[in-house]
Amino acid sequence: MIGVLRRYGTIVGFVGIVLFFWISLPETFMTGRNWLNISQQVSMLTVTAAAMTIVMVMGDFDLSVGTMASLAGVVAAVLFKLGFGVPLAVSAALATGLVGGALNGILVSYIGILPFIATLATLTVFSGFAFLISDGRTIFGRDIPEAFSGFARSGVPLGDLVSIPALTIAALAFVLIVWIVLEQTVFGRRLYAIGGNSRAALLAGVYVRRLRLAAFVLTGVGAAIAGLLYASRVASANPTQGDGLMLDAIAAVFLGMTMSEEWEPRVHATLIGVFILGVLDNGLTQMSVDSYIRDILVGAIILAAVASSSLWRRDTG
Amino acid sequence: MTDLAALHDVTKAYAGVPALRGARLTIAPGEVHALVGENGAGKSTLIKILAGVTPPDAASIAIDGRSVSIDTPHAAADLGLRFIHQELDVVPALSVAENIFLGRRYPMRPAGFIDWRTLGQAATEAMGRLGITDIDPRRKMARLGLGDQMLVRLSAAFLDRGTAPARLYVMDEPTASLNGEETERLFRVLREIRDTGRSVLYVTHRLDEVMRLCDRVTVMRGGETISTAATSDTSEAAIIRDMIGRPVDEAYPRRATPVSDETVLDVDDLAGAGIGPVRLAVKAGEIVGLAGLSGAGQSEVLRLLMAADRRTGRVRVAAKPQQAAQPPQAWRSGLAYVPRERRSEGLMLTRSIAANVTLPHLRLFARGGFLNRGSEREAVSAAGDEVRLVARGPDQHCYKLSGGNQQKVLFARALLERPRILLLDEPTRGVDVGAKFDIYTLIREVSSRGTAILIASSDFPELLGMCDRIIVMRDGRIGGVLPAADLSEEDLLTHCYGHAAAAPATAAASGA
Repeated sequence: MIGVLRRYGTIVGFVGIVLFFWISLPETFMTGRNWLNISQQVSMLTVTAAAMTIVMVMGDFDLSVGTMASLAGVVAAVLFKLGFGVPLAVSAALATGLVGGALNGILVSYIGILPFIATLATLTVFSGFAFLISDGRTIFGRDIPEAFSGFARSGVPLGDLVSIPALTIAALAFVLIVWIVLEQTVFGRRLYAIGGNSRAALLAGVYVRRLRLAAFVLTGVGAAIAGLLYASRVASANPTQGDGLMLDAIAAVFLGMTMSEEWEPRVHATLIGVFILGVLDNGLTQMSVDSYIRDILVGAIILAAVASSSLWRRDTG
Repeated sequence: MTDLAALHDVTKAYAGVPALRGARLTIAPGEVHALVGENGAGKSTLIKILAGVTPPDAASIAIDGRSVSIDTPHAAADLGLRFIHQELDVVPALSVAENIFLGRRYPMRPAGFIDWRTLGQAATEAMGRLGITDIDPRRKMARLGLGDQMLVRLSAAFLDRGTAPARLYVMDEPTASLNGEETERLFRVLREIRDTGRSVLYVTHRLDEVMRLCDRVTVMRGGETISTAATSDTSEAAIIRDMIGRPVDEAYPRRATPVSDETVLDVDDLAGAGIGPVRLAVKAGEIVGLAGLSGAGQSEVLRLLMAADRRTGRVRVAAKPQQAAQPPQAWRSGLAYVPRERRSEGLMLTRSIAANVTLPHLRLFARGGFLNRGSEREAVSAAGDEVRLVARGPDQHCYKLSGGNQQKVLFARALLERPRILLLDEPTRGVDVGAKFDIYTLIREVSSRGTAILIASSDFPELLGMCDRIIVMRDGRIGGVLPAADLSEEDLLTHCYGHAAAAPATAAASGA
C-alpha cells in the first residue's frame, strides 16, 4: 500500500488537482479546448524540461537552459532584422544552442567543474550575449517574418472549431525523440549508467567524458528549440523572455523523479511534472488567484511531493 | 566458571521473516570467541541485539550470570560492551583524535571550551594500546590511508574515558581493510585483552584468522546456532561443513587442465604514478596472483592494464599491441575486469542486473544504436546461470542482492564476451563461504577454457590455493615471482616485507 502510494503518490496528487479545478470551474476547465490550450501554454516548458532530463539522467544539472532559450530567440530575431530568411536564422539559433551546450559539456566533463557552478557561470554569459546582440531591446513587429511567427499560430484542425496547436505537436515530438534516445538506445542506457555510478561506468567500458559532453550538447540544442518556440509564440524576442524556464524545468524533472522508486529521471514522468505545473497555472489563473499566491502554491506542492517521496523511502530503507 | 555473556533462545523476525530462531551464544571471560556463518546466517542480528540496537522478539541474556535486558546502546556500554562495526564510518574532515571521540563527550574546560590537549592525549593513549605511535592525533582523517583509518576506528574501542570499563569487545570483520602487518598488530592487542581476563567476540569470514587467533568458534546457519567448539578440537573443513550444511572436500578446487604455452598477456615497462616499471607475462589458462602489503601496487597494476590510470609502457594481448588510453579500449582489446570496490567502482546499484551485466558489451545487443532487449535478456540469463547468480530475474535491482550475488553480477559482466584475459581485484572480499566456493569454481572453469587470469588479493590462502605463480609487489615494483606450489603463508608474507625487513616480519607473525 505504501509502496503504491510512494510510486503513484504524485499521480494521485495530479488527479486530485485536476478534480479540484474540474469542480471549481465546472464550465471551462475540463474541456478539450482548455486542455489544448494548456498543452500549448506548456510547450516551451515541455521542451526545456525534456532537454533538462537528459543531463539529469547523469546526475548533472544545466542551469543555463533558460538564458540559452532567451539567447537563441534573440539570435534568430537579430538575423531576421538583418534581413536573413527563416532557415538561416533558425539554423543559427540551433547552432548557438549546440555551441553553448558544448561549452557546458567541456567545462563539466573535460575541465571537471561541478555542473552547478559551470552552468551558473554560463547562465550569466549567455544572458550577457543576449543583451549584447539585442542591445537590450525587444525585437518585434515587422522585423519578425510571418513565416516564423505564423508557426505558433498554426495547427492541425480537429473538427470545425478546434485544432491541435503546432507548438503542442512540436513539443510532443521533442519528448518522443528524447524518450527514444533515453529509453531505446545504447546512448541512453550509457547515460543512465553514468548517473548510476560514473566511476563504475568508466571502468565498465563507457566513454564517460565524451558521452557527458554529448548530453550537454543535446540539452543546449533543446533549450535553443524552446527559445525558438517561445519567440514564435510571442512573435518577438527579448533578452530575458526564456529565463524563467530553467527553474520550472528542474521542478518538473523533480516531480517526475518522485514517481520512480530509484529516484531516476524519466522523460515521460517529466511530462507529467510539466502538466502538473501547467494545470496549476491554468486553473489558478482562471480562478483569478493572485500570481504571487500561485508561486507559493507551486513551491509548496513541489516540496510536498519530494518530501513525501523521501519520507517513504526512509521508512522502507 | 560463570560466563561473561550468555545469550539463549534468541528469536527475531523481520516482517514475519525469521532472522534468528532460538539462537544461543556463550562467551567465557578471557577468550577470543569467533562467530562465523554465511551472510544471512543471523550473526549481525545477534550482535545488534547484544548492542541494544535491535530489540529481540524473545531472548534471555545474562552478563556475569545476572539476567539483564539491553534496550539501548547506552545500556550495552554501561555493561562494558564495546562494538566495532564493519563499515569504516569515519568523518574525513575531522582530526584523528576527534574521530576517536565520535559519539562521546569531548573533555571540556570551564566555560564550554574543548580541552584539546586532553583530547589529544587520550587519543594518543587509545592508539598506543594498538601499538600505533606514528599517527599524529591532530592530522585530518582524510589524509590517512584506508588501513590507518581502520586502525584509528579500532582504537576508539580502547578509549575508556567516561564509560564503564570494557569487558567484551565485539568486532565485525575488523581486518577487511588491514594489511598483514596491521592485522598482526591488532591480533597482538586482542591476545593481550584476553590475557587480562576480558573477552573478544570476533566476527569474520576468514577461517584462517579463526584458527590462528580464536579460542572457541560458534557457527551459525539459518538463524540457528549449529555448533560451538574449541578451535583446537575442530578444523576449517568442519567449520565450513557446519556453515553451509554440507561437506566440502576442499576450500579451493584443484587445477584440472594444464597451462598452455601460448603467452596471452605480455607486459613490459608498464609504469604509472608511483608504479613500475613492471614486466610480466601470463599464459593461456594460467592463474597468476599479485600479492603484497596494502598499497604496494597490486591494484594499481590491474588499473594500469585497464588504462584506468595514466600509463606508459607496452602491453600486448595475444601478441597484438594494446593501444588503450581509456578502459573502454582495454575491454575491446580482450581484457575484462572485476574492480576492487564492488559498490563504488563496480556496480550501478540502482540499475537492473541486466543493465549492469551488459554495459561493456552493449554493441552486441544494438542495431543502429537501438537496443534489442530480447537478445540482451537472453544473454544476461545465460551469463547469470554460468556464474550461479541467485536472483529473481534480469530486471532485479542490484542493491537488493547479497554481497556474494553482487560479486557474481560483476563476474557475469566480465565473462559475457569470453575475454582473453580476466583481471580480478579482491574477487571474494566480503563474500560468504558458499558464494566464495562458487567463485573459485568459476575461476577454475574460466581458466580451463584458456583465459589468462591475474588476481590481486590480500587473502593469502586464496592466492596460494588458486594461483600457479604469485608475483610479489613491493613499493610499486615487482619484488619477486614465486611458484605457488609448496609456498607457505609465512613465506609469502616474508617476501612481501622484502628480505631486509624479513626478520621483524617473522617476529610479528610468530611473537604475536
